[in-house]
Amino acid sequence: PAADSSDPGVDVGVLKQLAKTGLVEALNAVPGGKTLVLDPTLAGPLGLVTEVSLLKQHGVDKMFWLEAGALSSQSQNIVYLCRPQIRWMKIIAQQIKLHTASSERHSYTLLLVPRRTILCDRILEEEGVFGDITLGQLKLEFIPLEEDVLSLEMENTYREVFLDGDNTAIYYSAQALMTVQQAFGLFPRIIGKGDAAKRLADLLLRMRQAGLADDPTSPALSLPSTVLDALVVVDRAVDMITPLCTQLTYQGLIDELVGIKNSYVEVDASLLSTAPQQMSGAPSLPAPGPTPALGPSSAQPKKKKHLLQASSDAVFTDLRDENFSVVGAHLNRLAKRLNEDYEGRHRAQTVEQLRDFVGKLGGLQSEHLALRLHTGLSEQIVPMTQTEVFNKSLEVQQNLIAGYDVNAQFSTIEDLINREAPLHVVLRLLCLYSITVGGIKPKQLENTKREILQTYGYQYLTLLLHLSSLNLLLKAPAPAPHLPLPSLRKHLRLLVDDVSEQAPTDIAYVYSGYAPLSIRLVQCVTMKPAVVAAEMGEKAVGGGSGGGEAQKEGTLKVVPRAHPIMGWKGFDEIVRSVPGETFDEVQRPEGDGTGKVDRESARHRLSAGADGRIVLPKGHSTTTVVFFLGGCTYTEIAALRWMSRQTRGRKYLICTTSIVNGSSLIDSLSPAPWAPITT
Amino acid sequence: LKLQEASEATDMVDRTAAIRAAGKSFSEDKDRAFEARMMDEYAKLLLLQQTLEKDADGRVPFIGLSVNETIYKCITTGQSKKADRVRSDWKVPDKRFWYIKLHALTESRDWEGLDAF
Repeated sequence: PAADSSDPGVDVGVLKQLAKTGLVEALNAVPGGKTLVLDPTLAGPLGLVTEVSLLKQHGVDKMFWLEAGALSSQSQNIVYLCRPQIRWMKIIAQQIKLHTASSERHSYTLLLVPRRTILCDRILEEEGVFGDITLGQLKLEFIPLEEDVLSLEMENTYREVFLDGDNTAIYYSAQALMTVQQAFGLFPRIIGKGDAAKRLADLLLRMRQAGLADDPTSPALSLPSTVLDALVVVDRAVDMITPLCTQLTYQGLIDELVGIKNSYVEVDASLLSTAPQQMSGAPSLPAPGPTPALGPSSAQPKKKKHLLQASSDAVFTDLRDENFSVVGAHLNRLAKRLNEDYEGRHRAQTVEQLRDFVGKLGGLQSEHLALRLHTGLSEQIVPMTQTEVFNKSLEVQQNLIAGYDVNAQFSTIEDLINREAPLHVVLRLLCLYSITVGGIKPKQLENTKREILQTYGYQYLTLLLHLSSLNLLLKAPAPAPHLPLPSLRKHLRLLVDDVSEQAPTDIAYVYSGYAPLSIRLVQCVTMKPAVVAAEMGEKAVGGGSGGGEAQKEGTLKVVPRAHPIMGWKGFDEIVRSVPGETFDEVQRPEGDGTGKVDRESARHRLSAGADGRIVLPKGHSTTTVVFFLGGCTYTEIAALRWMSRQTRGRKYLICTTSIVNGSSLIDSLSPAPWAPITT
Repeated sequence: LKLQEASEATDMVDRTAAIRAAGKSFSEDKDRAFEARMMDEYAKLLLLQQTLEKDADGRVPFIGLSVNETIYKCITTGQSKKADRVRSDWKVPDKRFWYIKLHALTESRDWEGLDAF
């Protein structure tokens, strides 16, 4: 029911441009040809904003990965580009010292992303190379993955913030959100949930004050935005249930089963080999050298990176947020239509009609290629979704969330360990059990941990310890404040029985029945009627606000208008019952003479047009920014997009530190693999 | 911390020592008794794997495998007695042991062994 016109909300292209210009300026600052030495973790993010050709244009003649060992370079200039991490500083210092020892002369530039830090300065000083380097910083903040998704592409934020207690990522996030405010105006209201989210919001308020102290006339800091209506911050620790469950949307499943990294997916080259024109459009910065097209004789399927992005792939746009169960039918329909379109040429009788057809051919062909790719991907995924392990784990997830026969679920998990199911699967289920049930009986827990260590190896003890310090794997009764799941299930209707995958009437379709808690919380702020309807147990909450009305009208569904942001009102109690701080701050206009504005009129200001009415002016749509601290999943993005379509006048701009899934979160908590023993 | 040391040690003696040290520091905290016990088990496993490798004249790599993999390897290399010993020393529950054995026998196409199951 995409009733809303093509109003894109805010234009995020400006942020991409910002990143690009920053890079170009930094490169131009170093005259002449130069060797670029790149932090491997930055390649993916950089690839999304620039292309190799652009780097070449600006004097980069060679590129290397930043890694331990000597660096040989012909160029006079060496430019290092990396995150401000201690290990990189040590490697760089080592390489410079080696050059000095062999009396090679270079001039060095070090660009730190996103910011230069005192710690890095000090390490370089200690290593005695500080004087040899020109230091700079490259402000690479939010990278638009899609026109409604911005990501910092900082992979380990969850671990850093919640396990290591390292707040650097919160600081970077705040900086990046400040940039958004500079571009689009102040968030009129900052609402959020979670301890880390609260720290972020406090930081944002403080940064604004500091900015105002420097420049009291700055319009971006003094006046609330007219295009954004609020920032909703949710930190990952608030809702770990959602990432632990298996995502069931098309894009989500690809991420779970094939893996998507920095928007790229690795697919068999054969799916793409006839699509050279499609590849050339994709920036190939992270590519390890283009794979040559496959001859028909070569048997080894080669892997190729493909950029999954809606802007270049109309088929993907339709599929990405669909529940996987309907993807097959969808592809089928598309293939039929495409076939008919091709057949259209036989009907062409006049020259004009023929010309018309030829004109459409280009579009048909690219659609054809896209169809091929997605059919191939689906064919790859289907067998993976038919394995016993996959289905067992899905069943356990659904039963745990429903609180149904938890003991049986526990034995299923034990059984999966006995059969040596992948460790990810086992741990995700075990954590889900611990969260939903409220801990695991001490004896059972110890037994299971022992089974895991014996089955998968003792080296995973560290990982188990990390999981328990994150309160993901706890002894019952759990001491920490824990999630009151039964009451949440009831009041936020986390479980929807009659979910329709074809024509979703609730966000629960993304997990075939479970409505992600994180997104229900966002709905408490932006789509209250949907949650109210849920609580009253209405059959369909489809219409969003005024869902009942929309239902009466049957097929003639009127998409209701979004209501203004009123904080957590109406849901204060239930939201407070979820562990983690709850907050709601209004950013009032300041420094423009209207200093004294009370909360109520501040709200009116932002939602009222010139005529002063509270409702949003007709045709004007506002954007709510949702920021996930610690990462979000593709299903959560899908759910927010679905919400965008349910109400007129409100779009969502999804911002996150990175895109995650349960397995990538668990990976980020795992220590480095153990070194092999040499005897 | 000690565990990280253990993970970086590439030498058998160093690794075992680091694991024992980790076990010791766990045992100082009474809430970490489980972890301490696990480290003991681990050190013991490494020792056993060393002797297994020696017995096989270094032809079969054992070191670094998990308990399950050790049992599996023992069976596929025809040392089912040793597999039984690992089973009892590490108190491997029947169910898990039978799964391993079943896989191992199928892998080595030991149909007689399977029959005798």
